[in-house]
Amino acid sequence: MNENDENGPSARVTRAKTAALSTDVSAAGAKKTMQTKRTTSTTTGNGSLRPRAALGDVSNVNKTEGAEVKAGKKPVAAKAGLASKATVQTGGVQKLSRTNSSRTATRPALQPRDSNKKPVPNAHKRPSLKDTAFQVEEPPRKKPELERKTPIEKIAEEPPVKEAEVSVKDAINDAVQDLDTEDLDDPLMAAEYVVEIFEYLKDLEIMTLPNPDYIDHQPDLEWKMRGILVDWLIEVHTRFRLLPETLFLAVNIIDRFLSAEVVALDRLQLVGVTAMFIASKYEEVLSPHVANFSHVADETFSDKEILDAERHVLATLEYNMSFPNPMNFLRRISKADNYDIQTRTLGKYLMEISLLDHRFMSYPQSHISAAAMYLARLILERGPWDATLAHYSGYTEEEIDPVFQLMVDYLHRPVSHEAFFKKYASKKFLKASILTRQWAKKYHHLYVDGSEQSRYAKDEQ
Amino acid sequence: MEHFRDSAAPLKIASNLVSPGHFLFHSKKPSGPPASKVPQKMDKSQQPSSFQQLEKLGEGTYATVFKGRNRQTGEMVALKEIHLDSEEGTPSTAIREISLMKELKHESIVSLYDVIHTENKLMLVFEFMDRDLKRYMDTRGDRGQLDPATVKSFMHQLLKGIAFCHDNRVLHRDLKPQNLLINKKGQLKLGDFGLARAFGIPVNTFSNEVVTLWYRAPDVLLGSRTYNTSIDIWSAGCIMAEMYTGRPLFPGTTNEDQLIKIFRLMGTPSERTWPGISQLPEYKSDFQIYATQDLSLIVPQMDAIGMDLLNRMLQLRPEMRISANEALQHPWFHDLPQIQAKLQQQHQQQQMAGYGGMIPPQPAY
Repeated sequence: MNENDENGPSARVTRAKTAALSTDVSAAGAKKTMQTKRTTSTTTGNGSLRPRAALGDVSNVNKTEGAEVKAGKKPVAAKAGLASKATVQTGGVQKLSRTNSSRTATRPALQPRDSNKKPVPNAHKRPSLKDTAFQVEEPPRKKPELERKTPIEKIAEEPPVKEAEVSVKDAINDAVQDLDTEDLDDPLMAAEYVVEIFEYLKDLEIMTLPNPDYIDHQPDLEWKMRGILVDWLIEVHTRFRLLPETLFLAVNIIDRFLSAEVVALDRLQLVGVTAMFIASKYEEVLSPHVANFSHVADETFSDKEILDAERHVLATLEYNMSFPNPMNFLRRISKADNYDIQTRTLGKYLMEISLLDHRFMSYPQSHISAAAMYLARLILERGPWDATLAHYSGYTEEEIDPVFQLMVDYLHRPVSHEAFFKKYASKKFLKASILTRQWAKKYHHLYVDGSEQSRYAKDEQ
Repeated sequence: MEHFRDSAAPLKIASNLVSPGHFLFHSKKPSGPPASKVPQKMDKSQQPSSFQQLEKLGEGTYATVFKGRNRQTGEMVALKEIHLDSEEGTPSTAIREISLMKELKHESIVSLYDVIHTENKLMLVFEFMDRDLKRYMDTRGDRGQLDPATVKSFMHQLLKGIAFCHDNRVLHRDLKPQNLLINKKGQLKLGDFGLARAFGIPVNTFSNEVVTLWYRAPDVLLGSRTYNTSIDIWSAGCIMAEMYTGRPLFPGTTNEDQLIKIFRLMGTPSERTWPGISQLPEYKSDFQIYATQDLSLIVPQMDAIGMDLLNRMLQLRPEMRISANEALQHPWFHDLPQIQAKLQQQHQQQQMAGYGGMIPPQPAY
């Protein structure tokens, strides 16, 4: 069982099954099996399309709830806004000539500066958080024999890493623990490459940043629509039981595409569904069939339209899928956090806020992951952001602050992305969306000044 | 099916919003912009006809490779034509291969020059290489065997290419002589990244249907899906032995036969020699027990230091396998500068004598 597969057990079932079905792969058969996607993905498709089972497995919603959801559904005016077929090819999309000059990427500094300046509310002020049932409900593991390979399991057998006793003034470097040496025996941690790889990912994340102001050249679009689109994609992503990586890549594809091309309103969903289709092909062992994607978009677009859009998106992005997934950074920081599953689960939710709220777009993924872990630890009262955490995240408390403020601000607003809220309201995700909002309601005023508020309000109009 | 469609229906979600919810997915005016605005980015600058297609070099499961000539510059290229599945669009193998190869710019990795996407096919334009290692061994070697100097030079280049991939969080996952390409300068480069993929840390779960059987690592054969960089090292070890002997080291016919061929030589592992092995899906408690053989009996051509390196690459336990960066530091490569100078000299002599690349002299380079 891989920590990676946090979306639910059934994807694993499907994959495990698939693996089991192909026991004997001859030399020639090896590649072929990889490619006969359709045979296998039919299973995936059917699985995820099966009404009750699908929802139940993933979100712990009981049957009554499910029925309500279904009943509350409006019949969809499916073809209502269908674009004229004349524009099918790449319709609604026009080439953009301006360059992305307005990027505001910040380069991280590796050295921590200060450890604990922020006014941390006293523990006794937040009893309500402690009350919340913190039963970590991990997805059932289909392959218990592989469990002990995951770092979470592993760490349990090891002596816990001591909190770095930070004496900030003297020898900061001494305070940073080398956490990679212990991984030299664990092939999954690729310890001998880990430093080079993270350096490389930090370069890549700058190169794959979208233009945070692309809305300025999209006459048809508003930021709010992007939020709605991503919220819907989160629902699709959950239904298909795709990897967390796939969702992040899909949104990055959307944003980079919208940075380069002008998209008409009635094509935005096509861009979204196509981005998810491409991201699945890149990230998943078995990606869902194109028909699943056209179906989930309510047949608003034909398979052919999605395939045409795929070619166009790939060409526009010049096939660059090298987006460094924030899950990597999150896990890296989690390592310095003793792989605390609660912090990481909350951190995952907080990180996903950056997908829905466009204000995060100018920040690199490592920065967002650092802020997510920072806020998660604050909410769960896990102690100061010490030198080790600052080192492994690459960001000091000070540097994290602007992103942290955005997150708190988002949590303080009324829920505007329902699928996202619901996904993380489940026990499996520690009710992260509820918990964090409760916290924000109480402590929001301690951290956020009015400026972000007004900026958001302005953007949303 | 019905339920699925309903519950994920965009309109439902949109309608929960305060402002006019329908705008996102269904515009008031159901007309896109005029078709004239439609760009065809990649297609316009480089038509496939910018390249003259010459003879076929090979055919794979999802692609055909041709020799080609750039009409403008006259430069030779390799054209990899990928058939687009009309039902599933661009193959994931192609998306990964292109994306990864655009990142991996290294002297020991074949360069991807351009991508030409047309209606029904995708053409990748690669740096031209004369032949793959398999064919090179067949034509230049003595019954497939290469001389020690050439093996050392090729191994060094192979490991440099692998190290570069791993530093850039890419697993090749299909290293074999057919995917290593050789040019007239005696350079070896990694090609065919169709099975490659980027990995995360910790390494994600992958398909275990990777690597051509003969070069597949025992942990993968045992069903592990959490392999990492070490699977490429196992393949490299198999290739090293094969360059010396001219024959594949473990030519298995099935998954199980492959494991047995490996165990017969490397010894059957047990929970004692490989803690955790019994947990792997394909592990069987009744594997025939073999003792570890001396590799030098199988590869007598190899010197003792080279044998040490080979042994470190062919460790059954993935975590015991040497990394590519460490392998490059191995004493076996200490005399590489002299060897390269010698090969260079031989190469020049051949050029002077007008051998070109066609006559199989001994040693090769």
